[in-house]
Amino acid sequence: MRHFRFPPQLFRLVLLTLAIVGAYLVARTLLTPQSFGEYGWYRGSALAEIASRTPVFAGKKACAECHADIAQKMAQSEHKTFSCEACHGANREHAMDHDVVPAKVPDSYCLRCHEGNPSRPSWIKQIVVKDHYGEKCSDCHLPHQPTQSP
Amino acid sequence: MTSQLTNAATEVMPAFTGYVYPNEATAHPIWSVLIVVYPYITGLVAGAFIMASLVRVFRVKALEPVYRFSLLTALAFLLCAPLPLLCHLGHPERCFEILMTPHLTSPMAVFGFVYAWYLMAVLLLELWFDYRHDLVVWSKTESGFKGILYRLLTVGVTDLSEPAVKLDARMGKILSIVGIPSAFLLHGYVGFIFGSIKANPWWGNPLMPIIFILSAMSSGIALCVFNYQVLTWVRRREMNMRCLDTMAMFLFYALVVDAAVEALDWLHRAFAAEEGFQVLQVMIREKLFYTLSVGQALVGTLLPFLLLGSLQLLRRRVPEVVRRRMIFSSAAMILVGVLAMRWNVVMGGQLFSKSLRGVMSHKFDFTGGEGWLMGLFLLILPFIILAMLLRLFLSERLPSSEPGPHSAAAASLP
Repeated sequence: MRHFRFPPQLFRLVLLTLAIVGAYLVARTLLTPQSFGEYGWYRGSALAEIASRTPVFAGKKACAECHADIAQKMAQSEHKTFSCEACHGANREHAMDHDVVPAKVPDSYCLRCHEGNPSRPSWIKQIVVKDHYGEKCSDCHLPHQPTQSP
Repeated sequence: MTSQLTNAATEVMPAFTGYVYPNEATAHPIWSVLIVVYPYITGLVAGAFIMASLVRVFRVKALEPVYRFSLLTALAFLLCAPLPLLCHLGHPERCFEILMTPHLTSPMAVFGFVYAWYLMAVLLLELWFDYRHDLVVWSKTESGFKGILYRLLTVGVTDLSEPAVKLDARMGKILSIVGIPSAFLLHGYVGFIFGSIKANPWWGNPLMPIIFILSAMSSGIALCVFNYQVLTWVRRREMNMRCLDTMAMFLFYALVVDAAVEALDWLHRAFAAEEGFQVLQVMIREKLFYTLSVGQALVGTLLPFLLLGSLQLLRRRVPEVVRRRMIFSSAAMILVGVLAMRWNVVMGGQLFSKSLRGVMSHKFDFTGGEGWLMGLFLLILPFIILAMLLRLFLSERLPSSEPGPHSAAAASLP
């Protein structure tokens, strides 16, 4: 009876495949984070990591502590639902330390909502910038009480 | 001041017309130039492989000179196929994570397995079995870096006995047969990723994988024709006209089938005129006029169809030089046309609102991670890798004495 000899090139390939699969399994064991799959298809510890981040927003309440007059005017205006930081930017540092000056609000912020756009609900007042009279929005409109003029 | 404000307005609000949802009014589309390059490169791989399998599986003797060349082309482009995705997603240092915790319900994640199967189990193995005889010979004759590389690639098997070489040929053929459905799977899968998005009338289409495969075949064969002619010119060798004519014939067939299926798709869309067809009409007439009507239909399909078609009818009457130029320009036009087709698919689906009542416009960056320059670099890179592979594995200086379908290959390749 003829002796069967496993072809050497196939034998090496099988060895190589086993080595690759083995390396993958070892890498998978070492590189998969410990808390992976604890709650779902993500690292369980990611929740704690995100929660431990320092917040950058102060919140409307913190603003109202010092700027109560503006907060009151805002509460009666059409912009009452806005958060202060929606236009003024994240300002927790300013709330903690009043010496930190908050960034200036550019006029283009007004255009986020007020530039004419057929897809925007018509109850939002809209203009077409190039046809609209005026240099700066705040020359004619008070952002905190938009229906009034300075 | 007014102009400043107008400029600011275009920064904040991108140009769009009609009814566009707020989350669609972004400065850049989510999928940009890089995602156009990705299916293009993957398609070239699948097409080049199918071209090689014409020799192995379908025994088209005339194409033997380009058998190895097409396989190496497929490899060079396959190595670059995931790069656009890697650059687009950012954080390349995290790319291994998709392999460590693969999510089997994500079509994008499963592509990793499709890719790995095609690269490791099909293309590299087929190349290895095909080259094993040569690698053993070269590992003995070559020295220095090349010698070390060839010795490493033999994986320590130096058996060149007749049964061993026969087994190599048989394994190569089996892998080629497995490779055809695998190449279809690789690129059909890319089509499926788009075709399965049922909320988007431009993409959501069961014909999408088939259209992708067919356009891949024509672009892959066109790439081989293009590269073969460039390589012959660079090496200052005489062109094998029988091989070139046969490639042109298969390129013509692939183009005809591809164009027919795409035309059927559009006929069906136009006749059914389902919800969203109106916005698709706007896309064809206005937004994608140059890339679709001019790039894809005229340059990429009609002109090469006429050139290659006339060659099929009048081949014997056309002088060799004219034939070469006609085939070369057809291949180049098909390559441009299929790139335009990928652009139309990827961008077309993102230029209209999900409300189907508005269209968006985007301005693409020139530099930067998602810019034109990056796309161009990713398109050039596979050619550089191919040049290196040709130096290593298809050099004129290397001796070649192997049996099988490639025996004529090294001998007659420029």
